[in-house]
Amino acid sequence: MTIAGPLFVLGVPLAVAAVLQILRRWTIISVFLAALTAAGMGVLLTLLPLGGVWTFRGLTVELARPLVVMGRVVQIEAADIFVLRYIFFTAAALFLLAWRFLPHSNFFPVGLAAAALFSGAFMVEQVVYTALLVVMGAILTVFPLHESGGAAKGGLRYLVYTVLALPGLMVTQLLLDLFMVFPNDQGLLNTATVLPGVSFAILFGAVPFQSWLSAVSSDGSPPVVTYLFTVNTGTVWFLLLAYFRNYPWLSQQAAFGTLFTTLGLVMMVTGGVLAAAQQRLGRLVGYATLVDNGAMLLALGTGRMEGLALAALLLLARPFSLGLMTLGLQGLRQLTGGLDDHLALEGAAFRAPWSTMAFLVGGIALAGFPLSLGFAARWGLYRITAMTNFANAMVALGSAAAVMLGIVISMRVLLTRPVARPASEAPPPASAPILKEDRLVVVLIVALLLVTLALGFFPRVASNLAVEMAQWYTFFP
Amino acid sequence: MTPFAVWLDRISGVTTTTAVWGLFLSGAVIYFIVEWRLRVLALFAQYLFIGVLFTRVFVDRPEMSLLKVLVGWLVCGALFLSVRIRQTAGERPHFHWAADLPFRILSLVMMTVVAYLASQRYTLPFVPQDLALGCILLAVFALLFIGVEEDAGVVGVGVLNLLAALDLFYSAQDPGLVVTGMLIMVNLLVGLAISYLTVAEVRT
Repeated sequence: MTIAGPLFVLGVPLAVAAVLQILRRWTIISVFLAALTAAGMGVLLTLLPLGGVWTFRGLTVELARPLVVMGRVVQIEAADIFVLRYIFFTAAALFLLAWRFLPHSNFFPVGLAAAALFSGAFMVEQVVYTALLVVMGAILTVFPLHESGGAAKGGLRYLVYTVLALPGLMVTQLLLDLFMVFPNDQGLLNTATVLPGVSFAILFGAVPFQSWLSAVSSDGSPPVVTYLFTVNTGTVWFLLLAYFRNYPWLSQQAAFGTLFTTLGLVMMVTGGVLAAAQQRLGRLVGYATLVDNGAMLLALGTGRMEGLALAALLLLARPFSLGLMTLGLQGLRQLTGGLDDHLALEGAAFRAPWSTMAFLVGGIALAGFPLSLGFAARWGLYRITAMTNFANAMVALGSAAAVMLGIVISMRVLLTRPVARPASEAPPPASAPILKEDRLVVVLIVALLLVTLALGFFPRVASNLAVEMAQWYTFFP
Repeated sequence: MTPFAVWLDRISGVTTTTAVWGLFLSGAVIYFIVEWRLRVLALFAQYLFIGVLFTRVFVDRPEMSLLKVLVGWLVCGALFLSVRIRQTAGERPHFHWAADLPFRILSLVMMTVVAYLASQRYTLPFVPQDLALGCILLAVFALLFIGVEEDAGVVGVGVLNLLAALDLFYSAQDPGLVVTGMLIMVNLLVGLAISYLTVAEVRT
């Protein structure tokens, strides 16, 4: 029996996700089955050449074979392979990280199904279906976001913003089709440029649409938030690049560089200032991510292949830094019964040293400071930006320093010896505090710390991958 | 003629203008009155009127309009269950107007005028003018619900209204089965997510 590649890549994770929903009671089975499926997909897409065939007990998978659904072609193309690998490998790693924190969680089946939908988005040809699949995947990730308690505002805001972005993405195709019929109507073309621009700005959490980023990171479950900031945002990023590849005239517009540079810098400055002023660690994660998103747009604004490669490197670095922050943040929240403000976390480093270290090292990496992969990417970005505009590079560096200031302030709080306060001053915990760090979580923290440091010392491994990834998007010289 | 066909025939007999008025009234009930049973009932009615508007889009396939109505009602059912759970968790149901009623009346009047003028002034491609008014009115309600309310249920109704507006507009251009099916999936997912978030708010 021969199966088309897209059917296999879409169908297997969805089928396993359905089984996992039934097996939710057994966390360890859920975790490993989800991680193995996602990692297996990633390995298959890494080892098997696009034109290759994989045979297993009479079942043959032809990766490049197109699947036709009601006249619509679904096909894996060479440029999609990197995206699919990123989605599946990141998802697999996050399932493992969430293992000890989300018992009996929806995250494993839902995360796997969302990963399948995101991959499907890159395999379909028409923009409309891509947009719909991305939105479906994004909505799915709302379900496990508030499982571990906290207000549901973040999930609601993310849902609202995601759906608000849908019309712009869907209508663009119509406008472009109309432009083919009425080539003199420049208004159609202008609208077709502005609408997806606004949609992508919403999905990226660009200023002034950044409120969902902080809301989600403030009251969402950290492992799910990391999934959202890596897999979901990564999908949106590659979708944006796919747009530029499909409509090259968009990237050739005179305002392209200025628009992305300005937007990226505004995001970086806003995120940096807000991160430095934060009293809650969850929000700090959100604003640090806003700065990182801004850095990616700034890299795109350079209008050069090197910029694209740097943006890809930033994206590759993010799962490691955010993964560490997640492990740290969740451990610290468990210690205080769900609270993550400075008052509640005073002296937490003495009770949860590994979680504290994970949060701080992850934060330093996300801010783009040494020794981390993020540093290599950010340093390259500052250099390439300084070549055209030194002031912009300084502003970007200043924003990263502001995030670092937020991390340093948090570090001071975490390392302060706690003072005994009257019970009335302390806010009530959302759940019962857990006073000891989980050994398995400590093992995961150590492993991730080692990988982060190793990539910080030897960034070439990842940078080669980023360059290779960027080469598929040929809209820049 | 089968009863189903008779029912559909009757539904499509309702004029678009009447359906748009129905949309407006049901939306106003959700906006002005803070009582969940009435709000869900109004949403239930709103989906019926949206179905009537869809009969204009799917002229040759009225069953598609029925499908849209049924999906909407399914979402209403899910929302109703969530609200019941929330009420058993301590919130007592009682009729009262929204606290900022004068502001809401003013904002709705202003936005309705804007919607009407927009439908007169700008033509949506392939969408008749009366249907365009329905589309814009739904988008206006979406903005009001999302912008003014904090309750997950009402904000969710706003999201559903936005989707309905998009669905009407897009189906007029491309009434294909695949897009229709996927939009139905998105509606169901949004409905479930809102129901879940409504309950999650209470749990915390």
